[in-house]
Amino acid sequence: MTESEIKSAFAHHKDAIYRFAWRMTASPDKALDITQDVFLTLLRAPNRFDPLRGQLRSFLLGIARNLALTRLTQEARWAALEDDESAVAPIEPGEAREMVARAIAALPPLQREVLILAQYEELSLEEIATAVHAEVGTVKSRLFRARENLRRMLAPLKQSRSISCGTAK
Amino acid sequence: MEPLNDQELNQVLNQWTAPAAPRALKFPKDRSGWRWLLQGSIRIPAPIALLLVIAAGVWLYSTRSTTKAIAHPKPVSLADFQPVKQMQPRVIGRANEAN
Repeated sequence: MTESEIKSAFAHHKDAIYRFAWRMTASPDKALDITQDVFLTLLRAPNRFDPLRGQLRSFLLGIARNLALTRLTQEARWAALEDDESAVAPIEPGEAREMVARAIAALPPLQREVLILAQYEELSLEEIATAVHAEVGTVKSRLFRARENLRRMLAPLKQSRSISCGTAK
Repeated sequence: MEPLNDQELNQVLNQWTAPAAPRALKFPKDRSGWRWLLQGSIRIPAPIALLLVIAAGVWLYSTRSTTKAIAHPKPVSLADFQPVKQMQPRVIGRANEAN
């Protein structure tokens, strides 16, 4: 890739990368750093991207994912990047948006990343598999567990939603 | 408590919107290699920076006091120097090298 192509990629994909990093780290500053580092990585090794192996967006999100996980690991917020934790702590009730943010932040990172890529970035399972360097089956399984965890953690919203819907009517 | 179904979960998840990339997000400049030497910067932890400043201060103080301790020598005059009046070259052979 040439520098002008990378600049064009920056213009097209910076928002998606920033959003993903913001959701992964819950920090605007870290999201900013990660987004810049993604394109810096591409500038330093422009030949790492192979169009035959997938979309540029998946490739860039894959770099962002690696950088985010490295930061999370360095911060020792998770002792290990396990994806089979089933006992996720319940979250306190509050405003729906905050509860969703807290519930997603409480997911193990490997579940969180596939959920964010699928739900918010609307990547296909194959694209997610490319981005997170995993098999499609593994991605499916992580996504299933993430959604199961969220169903339980966000169950209190069901009641409040039905109440609010009831009053709205 | 009854968990959310698929549709409810999607609705709830979609309430969490992410902000757009801030204006501060600019295309990065590659400062690798020699560019780093010209434009780069490094972060130093405050205690280490403080130690470096103290060490530099101590070193400056010690060199100054050493300089003061050395007496200033008198200016040297070349008035008494005279050129050699007569050269007396002496050839020494290999046999007499020891002399």
